[in-house]
Amino acid sequence: MSHYEFEEEEFTTQFNGRTMLRILKQALPHWPWLIGFLVCIGVVSIGDAYFTFLSKRIVDEGILAGDKVRLWQLVRVYGGLILVQATLVFIFIFLAGNLGQMVRYDLRKKMFEHLQALSFAYFDRTPVGWIMSRVTSDTERIAWLVTWGLLDMTWATMNLITSVYFMTRINWQLALIVFAALPILVVVAAQFRKRIIVEFRKTRKVNSKITGAYNENITGVRVVKALGRERENLREFGKLTDEMYRASFRAAWLSALFLPVVQLIAAFALGAIVWYGGLQASVGVLTIGGIQAFVSYLTFMLWPVQDLARVYAEMQHAIASAERSFSLIDAQPEVVDRAGAVDPGTIRGDVVFDGVDFWYEEDNSVLKDFSLHVKRGETIGLVGPTGGGKSTIVNLVCRFYEPKRGAIRIGGRDYTELSLHAIQSRIGVVLQTPHLFSGPIRENIRYGRLDATDVEVEAAAKLAGAHDFIVTLEKGYDGEVGEGGVLLSVGQKQLVSLARAVLARPEIFVMDEATSSVDTLTEALIQKGMETLMRGRTSFVIAHRLSTIKRADRILVIEDGRIKEMGSHAELLRQKGHYYRLYTKQFRQEREAEYDVFRVPVAEPAAV
Amino acid sequence: MQTSRDHFDFKSIVSERRLVGLWRMLSSYRLAYVGAMIGVALSAALKAGNYLLLRTFVDDVLANERFNALPLIGLGFVGLALLQGLFTFASGRWAARTAESVARRLRNYLFDHIQRLSFTYHDHMQTGELIQRATSDVDAVRRFYADQAIGMGNIVLMFAINFLALLNLHTTLALVSVVVAIPILIVSVFFFRGVSKAYDAFQDQEAKLSTVLQENLTGVRVVKAFARQAFEIDKFDRENREQYCLGRRLLLWHAIFWPGTDILCGMQMLAGFVVGSLMAIDGQITVGTYMAYAGLVIWVIWPLRNLGRIIVDVSTGLVSYGRVFEVIREDREPMDEGAYRPAGNVWGEVVFEDVCFRYNGEDGAVLHDVSFRVEPGQAVALLGSTGSGKTSLVNLLPRFYEYTGGNLKLDSVELKEYPRSILRSQIGIVEQEPFLFSCTVRENITYGVGRDVSDEEVVAAAKAAAIHDVIESFPKGYDTLVGEKGVTLSGGQKQRVAIARTLLKDPRILILDDATSSVDTETEGEIRGALERLMQGRTTFIIAHRIQSVMNADLILVLDRGRIVQRGTHDELIGREGTYRCIYDVQARIEDELQREIGEGQTSEAWETSEVSEEATYVAL
Repeated sequence: MSHYEFEEEEFTTQFNGRTMLRILKQALPHWPWLIGFLVCIGVVSIGDAYFTFLSKRIVDEGILAGDKVRLWQLVRVYGGLILVQATLVFIFIFLAGNLGQMVRYDLRKKMFEHLQALSFAYFDRTPVGWIMSRVTSDTERIAWLVTWGLLDMTWATMNLITSVYFMTRINWQLALIVFAALPILVVVAAQFRKRIIVEFRKTRKVNSKITGAYNENITGVRVVKALGRERENLREFGKLTDEMYRASFRAAWLSALFLPVVQLIAAFALGAIVWYGGLQASVGVLTIGGIQAFVSYLTFMLWPVQDLARVYAEMQHAIASAERSFSLIDAQPEVVDRAGAVDPGTIRGDVVFDGVDFWYEEDNSVLKDFSLHVKRGETIGLVGPTGGGKSTIVNLVCRFYEPKRGAIRIGGRDYTELSLHAIQSRIGVVLQTPHLFSGPIRENIRYGRLDATDVEVEAAAKLAGAHDFIVTLEKGYDGEVGEGGVLLSVGQKQLVSLARAVLARPEIFVMDEATSSVDTLTEALIQKGMETLMRGRTSFVIAHRLSTIKRADRILVIEDGRIKEMGSHAELLRQKGHYYRLYTKQFRQEREAEYDVFRVPVAEPAAV
Repeated sequence: MQTSRDHFDFKSIVSERRLVGLWRMLSSYRLAYVGAMIGVALSAALKAGNYLLLRTFVDDVLANERFNALPLIGLGFVGLALLQGLFTFASGRWAARTAESVARRLRNYLFDHIQRLSFTYHDHMQTGELIQRATSDVDAVRRFYADQAIGMGNIVLMFAINFLALLNLHTTLALVSVVVAIPILIVSVFFFRGVSKAYDAFQDQEAKLSTVLQENLTGVRVVKAFARQAFEIDKFDRENREQYCLGRRLLLWHAIFWPGTDILCGMQMLAGFVVGSLMAIDGQITVGTYMAYAGLVIWVIWPLRNLGRIIVDVSTGLVSYGRVFEVIREDREPMDEGAYRPAGNVWGEVVFEDVCFRYNGEDGAVLHDVSFRVEPGQAVALLGSTGSGKTSLVNLLPRFYEYTGGNLKLDSVELKEYPRSILRSQIGIVEQEPFLFSCTVRENITYGVGRDVSDEEVVAAAKAAAIHDVIESFPKGYDTLVGEKGVTLSGGQKQRVAIARTLLKDPRILILDDATSSVDTETEGEIRGALERLMQGRTTFIIAHRIQSVMNADLILVLDRGRIVQRGTHDELIGREGTYRCIYDVQARIEDELQREIGEGQTSEAWETSEVSEEATYVAL
């Protein structure tokens, strides 16, 4: 799948009715709120238009008629209307705002739950950043559309309609002039908005390029300085800032042009009204208050027109967001429980690969007719080059993926007959890059078994060899690990993730050993923890360290999806094949590190 | 249009006083910016003119029945709108030009500034922090010019001009109409301050939610492996719900502020209407005056609500300026400082005399009294453990850091006399895992060569670096992108690209920083060959910790904690007691051990590592 599929900010230009309907459906469970705020905004909008009409009546019926009683009457109505409007504004902000919060909450919840059910294959081909934006910013936009978007649209439409209604009531000939101007206004405004949004989108793209350029230049500053590339880098960066300048300047001046143009169109209508209205006033058809009302209606007609243009432009954006979000919600998990899947209570027993084929992409087979019989309690070491198929084998054991052809049997039973939970809750996994969740160490270990007591957590930590370093921390087991575990060293993270696996009391143990170097002491601790875990359990270990490799019951050299060499450590050494080469090279490297003569005092021996 | 190549020295003008600094940064756009402000004022005045024209229309034309003036009045409205539009547009355009130009100038300056700051600075500054200052803080400064200063000017001018127009209509009426101005201002500042706090809390929660989501996505294997989906859903729901609550709190602020100020502003308007219309009925003012008043008063009252927001925004703009200022005031590495300019290339004779070095602001010296001499074209090897000072020593040569004591001479001239730019053009560095830029392979090879390079030269260099065949195997050959959006190169391949790059650069002095260790077995031979070709005829510094990498050097220096503890050629050192012999012996012993293990492995599987290694360690020392 191509990388560019996940480029941001691609959006469909045409209006998509089906998506729009589905967006509105998100608000349906909370329909009383929706109806409530729509009614409120409708009333407010009529009231806003009525204010102008009231002002006209104050002039005509109060001032011109010289009627103070009538004036006070109208003033009381005006004052009352202000209070009513304010109350309604409070209610609709409250209703729409809450609805927005609820819709966003629902959507995020739905998406997150769906994500938990999706299979590995989905995460392989979908970048984390892409999913993140769907769940965060896209839900925000959808929630915006069903609340503020809908609200602005309703207000603007109702306001225009009622304004036109009142204008017709005052004088229908003049109202016709406004009628003629209205569509022009809306079209011009929408065109402007569209162009401005295109430029804004450009600036956003260039902006991320600029950030990228900074990032690269700062992380590579050593090379830049060593090669004296400063001038040329600046020249290239200048192209980006020029691009940025052009797009954002254009967006800015288009925005600056937008209002005057709309105002000018309105002014032509105003001029026509004054001229024609004045003539009518001369024959007594139109009152002075009427003229004032027209002037006000025209002046403030700009706001609903602008609102409509804005909502229209943003709506396209929101629909594109919705399309992407819905594509996430609609994605089907590939690995699911079969009908009648059972939980046999244990998955102890032999693990058998029977003629398994597997591929991630159709015509690029990773495993082909792969067969392997692992006896209960056996430890299998997997070595071989990257991309050879080691990780695929353990992924299949965990049933993160299922064989495309052939079968995997656990305890004599095709594992697709078992429930996913039955398998995955009984497999302990320790990954090459140990993943921790932000929170205290204790909770990270407890992740292995949620109902474990503190005593059990600590016992597991002791077994895994993590206890000693944990108690040296200032807060011990309550010490925070930081986001993704950044506050701990790689070795410490390994130990914690081992403890987590120990606590889970798995029946099958899978480990992708870390390649990164840790200090000798930690390495020895990890080694011991692993042995504790593997004892008596069927284990699959993707091994990178000598000692792990050596102790396995059977070592498999996997290359191009096939077993190249198989046997015990001694047997394989005798064969003088791939394993032999790998081993001797590693042996030299490890010993050299161990014998570092500069280290003073004498280096700790590897095994303590 | 100003080009991006204008060199504007921000460092010489920035000021700790933020408003002064912001004003000075406008240099050469001040006229446009002041023009923009004047445009705002004029268009506000013209808007007020609209209502005054309305008064004329009502009082003079309608009341006096001079209907032949009607077309003139109509044209007057169009003319006012035209002028007003013109000024609005002009001021918007000028403000945009100013803000965008200053921002572009600032971006270019910062980019250049950052890449020219010293290593000492980069060592202590986090990349993310620096990027944030160069991007979002610069953008906040841009918004200060584009939106906040202009917006504040707009509201203040609108208030002032319309208020003057009101005063012109009727003094009492004008004064009655601005009673709520001050309370509204206070309420709105208070509100926007509160809202920005509530908003920050909301955003923080959004960040927390994102963290949970991101950890869940990156740790999807762990989640699935422990079948913890339900637990994760609960965790996410807690954060999601918390955000829902914070969102509602934020909402409440808005739900109270807007209708509340609606009432304040609405009542103020109504009060004006009442006073005005009573005066009109009593004949104190004309009907036209009342109507002009009713129109103008709107522009005095309502914009005040937004002033609070701008005042709060301005403070964030000022904070951003302060953060950008902190970067700008740092000193650059003076690239061209230094009196000596060699004619052509240097020879490459390097002499260290009692050179000492310590990092800026740190107590312990990293190098103590280092003395040695390298003839042009010779290879000197530096052997030592991590932290022994090898890398610090070679970092002195391109003047990445300045030595703090002793003399360091290149071709008998003190290194400090050489401008850094010249020095660096004479030195090539190949690192263990070189940094490649995300551009094409060709661009990476020609990166920093500083002259036009023909395709033939690039290919020749790639061949000499034993990378040509690899490049040809890519679908797009030399035009293949490197990095995230293109191919990922292995450590060994990156290294050979760097070797090709250095071959093209053709420096007199070469630094091989751990370039010979820990590459994949298959390519080790090729890289070694490529390196040997590269070293020919150049003064070479080899950093290594394996004997094999340094055996052929003309001079081997064994470093320990910043001091040279042994020196000589391989043959000399091997015959002497000392660290070098120790390393050599250890490596020989490892081979013995390996053979023994393989032999033993063939007979017995039980073999304990610990015993042997312990014993071996004691023998080694």
